Amino acid sequence: MSRHLRIVLVHPPHESDASLRAAALQAGLVEAGYEIVASLPADLNLPEQIARLQPDMIIVDAESDARDVLEHIVVATRDERRPIVMFTEDEKQSSMDAAMEAGVSAYIVAGLKPERIKPVLSVAMARFRKEQKLLHELADTKHKLAERKVVDRAKGLLMSRHGMTEEQAYQRLRTMAMNKNLKLAEIAQRILDVEDLLG
Amino acid sequence: MHIEKTTVNIGFNPLTDCASVVMAAMLGFDEKHGIRIVLSRETSWAGVRDKLMTGELDAAHALYGLVYGAQLGIGAQPRDMAVLMNLNRNGQAITLSRRLADSGAKDGATLAALMAREPRQYVFAQTFPTGTHAMWLYYWLAAHGIHPMTDVRAITLPPSQMVYNLAEGHMDGFCAGEPWGQQAVMEGVGVTAASSQQIWPDHPEKVLGASLDFVRAHPNTCRALIAAVLEAGRWIDASDENRRATAEIIAGVPYVNTEKAAILPRMLGRYGDGLGHAWQDEHPMRFHQEGQASYPWLSDGMWFMTQFRRWGLLKSDPDYFAVAQSVTQSRLYREAAEMAGVAVPADVLRSSTLVDGHVWDGTDPARYAAAFAIHQR
Repeated sequence: MSRHLRIVLVHPPHESDASLRAAALQAGLVEAGYEIVASLPADLNLPEQIARLQPDMIIVDAESDARDVLEHIVVATRDERRPIVMFTEDEKQSSMDAAMEAGVSAYIVAGLKPERIKPVLSVAMARFRKEQKLLHELADTKHKLAERKVVDRAKGLLMSRHGMTEEQAYQRLRTMAMNKNLKLAEIAQRILDVEDLLG
Repeated sequence: MHIEKTTVNIGFNPLTDCASVVMAAMLGFDEKHGIRIVLSRETSWAGVRDKLMTGELDAAHALYGLVYGAQLGIGAQPRDMAVLMNLNRNGQAITLSRRLADSGAKDGATLAALMAREPRQYVFAQTFPTGTHAMWLYYWLAAHGIHPMTDVRAITLPPSQMVYNLAEGHMDGFCAGEPWGQQAVMEGVGVTAASSQQIWPDHPEKVLGASLDFVRAHPNTCRALIAAVLEAGRWIDASDENRRATAEIIAGVPYVNTEKAAILPRMLGRYGDGLGHAWQDEHPMRFHQEGQASYPWLSDGMWFMTQFRRWGLLKSDPDYFAVAQSVTQSRLYREAAEMAGVAVPADVLRSSTLVDGHVWDGTDPARYAAAFAIHQR
């Protein structure tokens, strides 16, 4: 899955030491078979550059104040998330597991040894995808629950207004939905809207 | 009283309003309450948030809005957060570039007029997407009929990079904490279009933030910490002499790392806009105000959620009151205030009138959030 993973590297602006580190990291990534689409300074053009390049992953120096610029990107692209991997030299940093457990949008990893890069990124990417899947499932479940509530309310309305049994109310909704080629929840919502309108 | 953890790691960002946290350690108020504050200079707000969550920091000088953003899961997975106390009020500013001022824009009204007269892309920076400065900037622009999401390009930049980028012409203005507004005026590259207290007199600013897990496991440590910082805030506010001493210390390399001249005037309430107008501010940065400034008002916390809702960072209304009650550690604060001999207000809500005339009293947050003509849903 690391094939064709498009990565953007972010390095602090005007810092020669950091860009050396970024260069070493870049070499390691290329060796591991990743596609580095850009190495960008963390300045005020960063959000636009990321939006233009649409990378699969962003890698940045965690201790850099560029972190807040990235936070802007995270918030601005909330509906279209991508993993952001943080590298730091600080060995006493909480472990990657702790960071992920905490649910941050970042994966904090100590050390920059080229041979460690690939497994770390693979885990980060897998973890991110799993998280996204869970989030989608959660949103989906919430949506379904909300739909069921609407259908139940519409059924209740038909039952009290027209003295129908629950089964009859449900059949009526289903027939209306089929005739109008609408989803059950949509027809239920229309019935509730009409009730609201006419009181 | 058994103190669960006596060494407390406190993060701060290099800004004037980290003063009470620094002075609590400097003046020994921490030892007086049986703890030792270990200060950690941070470079980013997102880093502060992440380190609170991983436990690398026990508590931190943090943006009010950042704590609520983390609680509500804006930008990261939601985590239960805590506001131990308010650290300060007021003392931030909106700065416009010299170039804009030369073209006639020196306050909100003249900025709106200039933007109408000379349409182009205007760029404004704040310091964190859910932070206080983003909210002051958006509120101020909107109060003058400028939509912060569509009429301008809003970006996030670290505070220390603001003046440089303004001087280079990369942007038209910014909202950040001091000393950066004063620094821009001193260097002649920007003018102060509004102080944040002109947007909301006596607005809440930084808080002492922590994860709820930390607070639950270390209640006595938290009480001692609040008491120590309360005493430091009271000491700073006690006299101009103390403010001078504070400015001297926090200007140092380990803290804000700037000239004392960038910090002191506005700490003393002496403002200049860079265009010859000078004034003694009625609502300068305050760390204590007889306990009014440090009290974690529930209405203060709810206000940030109303603005998240207003600008589409929240897609639906949260249970404003319940969230604020869960985040705000009112009971711990009350007990710590007693230890430090600081008065505690009787009410949990307060009433304020903001620059656009809207009154915020915390009683109907959903209605307040929906009441603004300029918004983003």
